[in-house]
This record gives sequence, C-alpha cells and structure tokens, in this order.
Amino acid sequence: MIKALRAVFARGATDKNSELTFRKGAPAAKPQVNCRQLCFFAAFFLPVSKLLEAPSLLARYAAGDLLVPALMQYLLQTLALALLLFVLSRLDKPLLQAIADRFGQWTAKIICFLYAAYFLFSALLPLLDLEKFVYAAFYDTAPTSFTFAPFFLLSAYFCVKGLKALARSADLSLFLFLFPFIALMAMSVGQTDFTAVLPVFGEPFKGVLKGFSATAPHFADVALFLPLFCGYRYKKGDGKKIVASYWAGAAFVLFFLVVFLGLFTTLAPREHYAFIKVAQYFPALGTVGRLDLLFSYFLTVILFFYGCLPVLYTVEFFSAGINSDKRVLPSAVLNLALLVFVFYFNQRYNAVYKIFENAYPVFWAFSVVIPILSLFLLLKKPKMKKDGGRVETKEAKDA
Amino acid sequence: MRPFANSFSPFSHTFSVNSLSLSLEKNLSELKKLLPSEDIFHYVFQTEDGVSCALLYADGIVNKQLLGDLVARPLSRLNLKRELDELPEKPQKDGGRVEVKLQIIRRATLFPELKEKREFQDAVKEVLDGNIALLIDGISVILIVGAKFLPVRTVMEPPTDVAVKGPREGFIEDIKVNMALVRKRLKTPDLRFETVKIGKRTDSSVAICYLDGISNASVKDEVKEKLKEIEVDCILDSSYIAALIAPHKHSIFKQVGTTEKPDVFAGKIAEGRVGILVDGSPIALTVPFVLTEDFQSSEDYFVSPFMATIFRAIRFIALVIAILLPAFYVSAQLFKMQLAPIGLMLTILSGVKELPLSPSLELMVVLLLLEILKEASIRMPKYVGMSLSVVGALVLGETAVNAGFLSTPTIIVVAFSGICLYTVPNFVETGSILRWIFLIVAGSIGPFGVVLALAFVLYYLLATDAFHAPLLAPFCPFTPRDMRDAIAKYNMQSLSKRPSVFGSQNKTRMRFDGKKIKKEN
Repeated sequence: MIKALRAVFARGATDKNSELTFRKGAPAAKPQVNCRQLCFFAAFFLPVSKLLEAPSLLARYAAGDLLVPALMQYLLQTLALALLLFVLSRLDKPLLQAIADRFGQWTAKIICFLYAAYFLFSALLPLLDLEKFVYAAFYDTAPTSFTFAPFFLLSAYFCVKGLKALARSADLSLFLFLFPFIALMAMSVGQTDFTAVLPVFGEPFKGVLKGFSATAPHFADVALFLPLFCGYRYKKGDGKKIVASYWAGAAFVLFFLVVFLGLFTTLAPREHYAFIKVAQYFPALGTVGRLDLLFSYFLTVILFFYGCLPVLYTVEFFSAGINSDKRVLPSAVLNLALLVFVFYFNQRYNAVYKIFENAYPVFWAFSVVIPILSLFLLLKKPKMKKDGGRVETKEAKDA
Repeated sequence: MRPFANSFSPFSHTFSVNSLSLSLEKNLSELKKLLPSEDIFHYVFQTEDGVSCALLYADGIVNKQLLGDLVARPLSRLNLKRELDELPEKPQKDGGRVEVKLQIIRRATLFPELKEKREFQDAVKEVLDGNIALLIDGISVILIVGAKFLPVRTVMEPPTDVAVKGPREGFIEDIKVNMALVRKRLKTPDLRFETVKIGKRTDSSVAICYLDGISNASVKDEVKEKLKEIEVDCILDSSYIAALIAPHKHSIFKQVGTTEKPDVFAGKIAEGRVGILVDGSPIALTVPFVLTEDFQSSEDYFVSPFMATIFRAIRFIALVIAILLPAFYVSAQLFKMQLAPIGLMLTILSGVKELPLSPSLELMVVLLLLEILKEASIRMPKYVGMSLSVVGALVLGETAVNAGFLSTPTIIVVAFSGICLYTVPNFVETGSILRWIFLIVAGSIGPFGVVLALAFVLYYLLATDAFHAPLLAPFCPFTPRDMRDAIAKYNMQSLSKRPSVFGSQNKTRMRFDGKKIKKEN
C-alpha cells in the first residue's frame, strides 16, 4: 500500500529536475511548457477563477458598471504580460536563470522566497472561497467542517507532479472549460436582460475604483504565468498568441459578467458562486432536473486545479530557493498547514476577506510591478575590471 | 536469443555436465540424465553398415510421421562407410571426417530444418521445445531436427473482439502461427521480429515486432531492455509480460495495449507502435498505449466515419455513465437532491423509504451482486448458465425487491451501469475499480468527493507517461492532428499522417490526390 502510494506520488521520469532552476553554469533544460499550453492556460484555465466570487464583488462595488473595473484589471494585466513577454523574447535562457546570471544567485533566491510567500498568501482567500463554494454547490445541508479536507490530498498530489503536469492540465482545460461554459451560457442567455449593463459609466466612479481594487486578488494573473515562463522558451510570434488567448479568456469572463448581471440585476451582489446559479432558470431544468449542475461540476474540476495552483507555486519557488528537487515534504507540510488554516478560519471568513480587500498593493506589486521591473534584465551587464573597478560598456562608450 | 544464464538456469539442480563424446551410449545416457522425465522417449536404430543412431524427443509434441519418413527410414538405409569410401577426396583429419559424415547425414535425412548443437544444455532446450535430438555414434555433435508439432487450435474469431464487419481471424496460442498472421498482413521487408526466450521453467518465446523505419527506435529499445531485465519462473500468458514491462507497477490503468486480432495488431504496428507476441498467448501486446485506443474498435475503420464517430461517442458516454451513475445516484439521495428531477426523486424516495439499508450500502450490495454474477457466469459451465440467469435475475433481483430488501431504482441503476461498462470491453477491469472508488467516495462525502476523485484521476492520467507517450494523448498534450482519430473519426484521407504521439520516424502513411508520400528522415 505504502509502495503504491509512493508510486502514485512519485514525480514523472521527465520531471526529476525542477523547471525552476538557476544553478550557475547549468545547461538550459528542455522546455517543459510550450506556447499552446500557455495559450490554453490563459484562455481556459484562468477565467474559471473569475466566475466564483469576483462577479458578486464587482456587482457589489460597481453595480451596473461591473464591466469597467473588470476591463481595467484586464488592461493592467495585459500591459504587464506584454512587457514580460517582450523581456522573454529578448532572453535566450529561462527567466529565473536570467535573473540569477544578471543580478546574482542571491537575488534570484530572494525573488523565489518572495514569490513563495506571495503565493502562499494569495492561496488563503481562494481556499476559503473554494471551501464555501463546495459547501454551497455540492450539499443541500451544511456538511461537517472536515468535508473539505480531502481537497488537500489533491493539492499535495498537484504539488509533487510539477509544472509539466500543470501545463498539460491547461491542455485538458480546453475540454473541461469550453464545453461546460458554452452549455451553461446557452442555458442562461435566454433569461438574460442584456440592457442591465447600460448605461456604461452610469455608476459613481468611486465605486468602480473600489471594485477595481477589491477584485485585485482575483485578477492578478500575470504572477500565475511567471513559474510557467520559467519552463518555457520564447519563439517568434508567441507573444501575440498568448496575449490574444488572454483576451479570449477575458471575453469569456466579460460575457459571463454581462449574463450574470442581466440575470440577477439588483440581487447580483448577493449571488455568490455565480456559475452554479446562472443556468438554473433554464425552463427545461424543471423537467430534467438540475442538468446544469453537471456542467458546473466539470468546470469545478478546473476550479480545483486552480485552487491548487498557488500551493504548487509556493512549493516550486520555495524548493527553487533552497535549490532542492524534493517536493514531497514541503508539499505535505504546506498542505497540512493550509488544512489547519481553512479549518480554523472558515468561521472567520470576513476577517480574512477584510485583509484581502485592502491588500491590492501586494497583488499589483507581484503581478504588475515586479514583472515590469523584469525589463532591467535587458540592460547590459556592466563589465568588471580585473582590479574590481567598473568599466564602461561598449554602448556607453559609443554614447 | 537470450544467452544461457547459469545464475538463472532452467534446471532446478546443477549437473556436472560432460562435453559431448564420440560414444553414442555416453551421450545418450548424459541426455537421459538431464531429461529423466517419463515423457522423454528415445529410439535407437542402426544404419545399413551398423552405425548406431538415436533419436530423443518429448512425446506428443513432435511430428512422428516426419520423424519416421524423413529421418529414421533414410538413415536406416544409409551406408555411411560406403558413402565415405566413394568420396573422391578422403579427409585426413578426424575433425574433417566428422564434418563429412555430418554432410552425408544431412543429405540423407532430406530434412530442411537441421541445427547442430555441441552442448548438452542446448540440446536439452531444443528437445523441451519440441524438436528432436539426433545422436550418431562416432560423431560428437547433436543434430536437432525441427519436427516440432505442437497441438494448436485453429485460427478463429476471438470471443472478446467480435466484429460485424471486417476480418474475423484471431490470434491463437502458437507464436509461429501468430507471426505468420502478422506477416500475411504486412508483406514488407521492414517488418522485423526479434525473439527472446523468457521464463526459467517455461522458456517461452517472446517476439518483438516492429516496422523498421516507422516505429520509434527509443520505444523499441526500451521494450528490449525491459524484456532483458525480466527474470521470472513462468511466462504463461502475455499478461505476465504486460505487467512486468509496465512502467507504473501500481497503476490501475492499462499501460500496454492488447488485441486478439491480427488486423488490429498490424494496424497498430503500421501506426508506429511496437508489438509483442508471446508463445502460448492469443493476446498480442502493443506499446505505446493511449487510453483512447480502448474506445476504438476495428470496425470503426470499416464503416463510415460518421458512424464510427457516433459509435465512439456512445462508448465514451456509456463509460462515463457506467462509472459515475451509481456515484451520482447515491450522492443525489444523500447529499444533493437537486441532481435528479423532482418527480424522479420523489419516485425514488417512495421506493427507498422503508428499506433497511442506507442508499450507499444498498447500491454496494447490488453492485457486489452484479460482480458475483458476472464472475460466476464466466467461470461456471455453460449448461448451468441458464439456471444462473434465472437465479440472478428472478430470485435475487425480483424477490429481493418484493421482500423490501432492495429498491427497484437501485437495480435499474446498477444494471444500466453494468451494461454501459461493457460497451468498452478493454476498460472493464479498470472501469469496475473506478466505479467502486467513486461509489465509496460518493457515499462518504457526496458529489464533492466524486468531482474531487474525478479531478484526481484526470490529473493522474495527464501526468502519466508510458513508453514515451502520455496516457491521455491526444487530448493532453493536445495534438489537433491526432484528434482526427480519437473520439471523432475523420475520413481516411484526413488520416494521411501517423499519430505524432508515437514518435514515428516516417510520419506520412497515405498518398492521395496525386501527392506522393514524402519520405521523412
């Protein structure tokens, strides 16, 4: 039994080495992530996270203008993503290796630990949201607090399988996201009042700004690309494809927001876990039962993967920071800690939510500012004289 | 051939084996010492000029007709001395004389399949394999006569893979016949068979089969390497080999493809896979294996692509129903009633309200009954099969419902699930295990557990590779070109390229519209 478990939790033969490595002089590893997987990740994997709590939050602050803060978020993230892709297009090595070569190993280690801490922090609210969603979507009556605990088994498994498996799950998200999403939307549009979003800018801009800042944790997507970019080599034209895919994902979310507002109008701020509710008014469901729930459950598979994502990234960045390929122990400890956190804080959701509501600078710092700062990687490294003094680069001399 | 390994010899005890001598008596007694079994016969006779010869063979597995007509009778009429005297140039050395004698005997026997063995162990292996050892006085070489005649059944349609349209031939237990059935379909010099012997006691022939220049060399090498590493007592069926070469030993999912049909096997080899044939098994193995293969039937290629797509979709949907329906049925009753329409749920609830068992326990009991009936119907003699159906369907089913022990909806759910599972016969074992897992999880934590288990299974599958191919290919990694023959089946012209997941060296397999096949690599 132990052998079987060990075999199940073993990393695949191709994943023995972490994609997040920056050992000095190490040969560039074979890319584990390709452009198609990044596109699918952007178009079909990331949008599902915005269908859970973000719609009701946006409706709460921006009401009829909920599309505006969402669009602002996407524009901000697209700017950071485009700049990051521009940097990648100029690098001939993995991102982390480039940071280590340009700014030194310790800088790379500090970045790893900072991002590990960031992802750990960013995992907290989504986990609580996910737990609440599970209780609402899967049960008629409230189950025991430990019902959610098995999720951490999946999370631990997710962590030990590494980024290559994550990239493949992006491939699978095409089927698990697209078909159920289309089915749900097809069931919903008939009852939607599309005029609910009009007039645009009909609400006070302060509310829009508040919606913009409060939903920052839900839209901090560029940070989620970073570990995948560490196992990816840029090819000409990839940038356009990835940004276009990101906007395809944005289109899904924006359309969903329109349907959501059109269905629930003034009740929208109170309609949490929107995607399990949008199709419930489809007339045929009265006869055939809640068929829409089955589609929602398929979307939930991706949502579960998404819930594991920050935990996986924490383990990956932490392990990269300590230059270790071992994943089992860190993931076991981390998931156990998160299980305790969820168990303890599930009755204190509002306290955690308050922290996250005001934590937008943290999310923007890690998903926008630091990726933009990666432009510094493109600066030429100043050559050092043998005696330790600086010499001017060729470009500086020419200038 | 696998070298004879002393550390893993087919003999249970060691002998101080002497080298072959010129004396027939000594050689024969040494061989009888190595083969003391009562079914090993020997027959001693003399040539016309009085040279003693002996034939040693295992009874029942040699062609005695051939033995008499082509070996014993010609030799008994042979005058070795006269033949030697009539030679224009007489050999001076003893070694030369032996060679000449052997040539004369070879000519006299008229038998095409003759091998020389100079070690007792080699001769013993040949005799056990069904060949005949010919010993001649004055010659320190054992001639092996390939008169093997093993009892084999005729080539017939395999019971597990019945096709309404298309070829009906199936593999049998004889590897030579199976190799011939493959060769019959792939008449190309690129078709290669490489044979190894595996099994301490069975010494079974295992043939690796591939198309040179088309199969992935690294897969072929990996298979060879894994077969070399096998040190096992018996290989009685190809399933032993499948289990021993599988990269993930504890997985419930198949990692090696199986087929009983030579046309399917040839098709898979032509796609770039590597095949394995095992002597004594009618089931051929193919690697790499991807899960979608289980949804494909040979018939899909003999009907219109639209029908093939519909059949595959039906199989896929049926499998999903087979695995998840019992779990969702239990979940709906225990945790989330909205999963079923309200009218249906009221009917179910009215049927189950006075049952002594909980919904999950009730379903487990019925599922267990189904598994028992299935197992019994396979094992028990055919003439009691009818009684079993009556007992199973009427006594157990009907009476249990009437007695208020089980509910009708539960029996319907299990029966439907059971039928659905058999739409994909190659997935029955795995599907059955998965159905139990999902049912247990559903009974414990409800639909959340089912979806979580589904996520776990999907993530396991997408992260698992076997023989350089991901199990979930072509869905994951997503390969649009390979999707043309996954769940959907495109027309033949669209399948002009071999599936890329197998890493074939030559990617093009079809010429159409006047385009010539481009030789790649």
